[in-house]
Order: sequence, then C-alpha cells, then structure tokens
Amino acid sequence: MASAPFKAQLTDLLNSMFAMDFLDEQFKELQMLEEASGPGFLTEVVTLFCGDAERIISQLDALLNEPAVDFGKVDANVHQLKGSSSSVGAKRVALVCIKFRNVCQENDKEGCIAALHEIRHEFDELRKKFQTMLQLEQQIQDLDSK
Amino acid sequence: MASSQVVKALIVDDNAMIRRIHMTMLFRFGFEITEVEDGKKAIDQFLDGNEYDLVLMDKEMPNMDGVEATRTLRGMGISTKIVAITTDSNSMGAFLDAGADEFILKPLNFPALADILKGFNFLN
Repeated sequence: MASAPFKAQLTDLLNSMFAMDFLDEQFKELQMLEEASGPGFLTEVVTLFCGDAERIISQLDALLNEPAVDFGKVDANVHQLKGSSSSVGAKRVALVCIKFRNVCQENDKEGCIAALHEIRHEFDELRKKFQTMLQLEQQIQDLDSK
Repeated sequence: MASSQVVKALIVDDNAMIRRIHMTMLFRFGFEITEVEDGKKAIDQFLDGNEYDLVLMDKEMPNMDGVEATRTLRGMGISTKIVAITTDSNSMGAFLDAGADEFILKPLNFPALADILKGFNFLN
C-alpha cells in the first residue's frame, strides 16, 4: 500500500513525541476519540490548540512589556494556557505553565520573562512536530482514498 | 429528565478546543449537544425555555463564571445535573456550595466521564 511508508513515519514521530514528553496520555485519549468519531477531529483540536496558544503567548508578551506588570492578568492567561495544553496532552508546555504560575504568584517579572521564553521554545518545538504530524496524516488520507 | 428520550447536554466553556473535545466525548454516548461560551449564555439557554439533562460547566469564563452560573441556575429552580469541570482545584468547595452535583479536574478523560454519567443513570 502506497501509504505504508508515511504510516511508518507517523508512528515513529508519535512514538518519539511520547518518549520525549512532548505528549502524554491525554493525547492518547484524543487519538481514541478520533478512532470513534472519524478523521478530522485531531486536526481540528490540534489546530485550535495552536491558534489558542499563539494568541495567549502574544498576550503574555504584551503584558510583560508593560511598565507596570499586571501579574493577575498574566496568571489568568497562563492558567488558560495550562488548561488548553493539558487538555490536548501537551505535557512539556503544561509543565512550564506550572513553573510560570509559581514565579507569577511571587510577582517576579524577570522570572516571568524567562518562563515565557521557555514556553515559547517548547510551543515552537511542539508546533513543528504537530505540523509534520498533520502533513503525514493528510498524505496518508489522500493515498488511502485513491 | 428533558422530555425526549435522548439525553440533552449543555457544554459551557470559553475555550473552543475544550468544547470540541467534550462534545466529541458526549457524542459517543449519543447525547444531543448544545455549546455556549460563558455562564450568562448558559443562563439564557434556560431562560429561552430550553431543557437539559446535563450541564458541563467550566469555571473561568467572561461575563459570568461557572460558580455564579451554577448558583443562578439553582436559584431559578433548575434541577439539571451540573458537573463542574475546571483546572482550578481550589474551586471545588465553591462549586458544590453553589449547587453543582459533581466536580472533576481537567483534563477530562472518557472513563471518568462515563463513571459520572453512569452515576446519574444516563447510560443504559
């Protein structure tokens, strides 16, 4: 079957994402939901997550660039990102959110900036892998439907 | 229970991704789903005469948060099962005091949801 090499690549990619803690058990829950509900569910969820995360990270950047940082708003945004990332199984992003909230609650601006930098790095790495995953899924779908 | 045989559920969460996940979970049980993005819109659903058997209620939402929405619904005499679903573990007491039937932390997983629904006798 023409899609076999792409399926193998996808399996390897996902295995490495789990092994390196980019993803956790919650993502497996979503994979099982897709099996039951049909293709497109994971694509939609991952796309919504990436859009959400990008928006929140931009807001955090703006908030931390204010002369007087509103740590309450920063915390609320990080809380949102933690909720989204844990719901999609984005383990490393969720873990950095926990660190971020700790420094935020101490009103530590430098700590917050460092945590934001780390979140940006983790999210960028995850987003690249999600993009590869979605491209492989699309190729598999296209080949299997022929 | 709402008048039809199908269980009717209302998902209340300001996060579109989370609404999508919870909706997909509930679809697996054959529920009829409505979604809204804040507590005030949830209240409006009931004020418009809609009936629901189940509400999945987030906490942090614009316009009206989940605790206030739960309290308001109970004040209106709404006896629908309300399950609070949030990342805020400190809000359990507030939700239960407001009248929620169950409290569960996000992320929601399918087996945990099934257990709650069985407890409410929504699953045959």
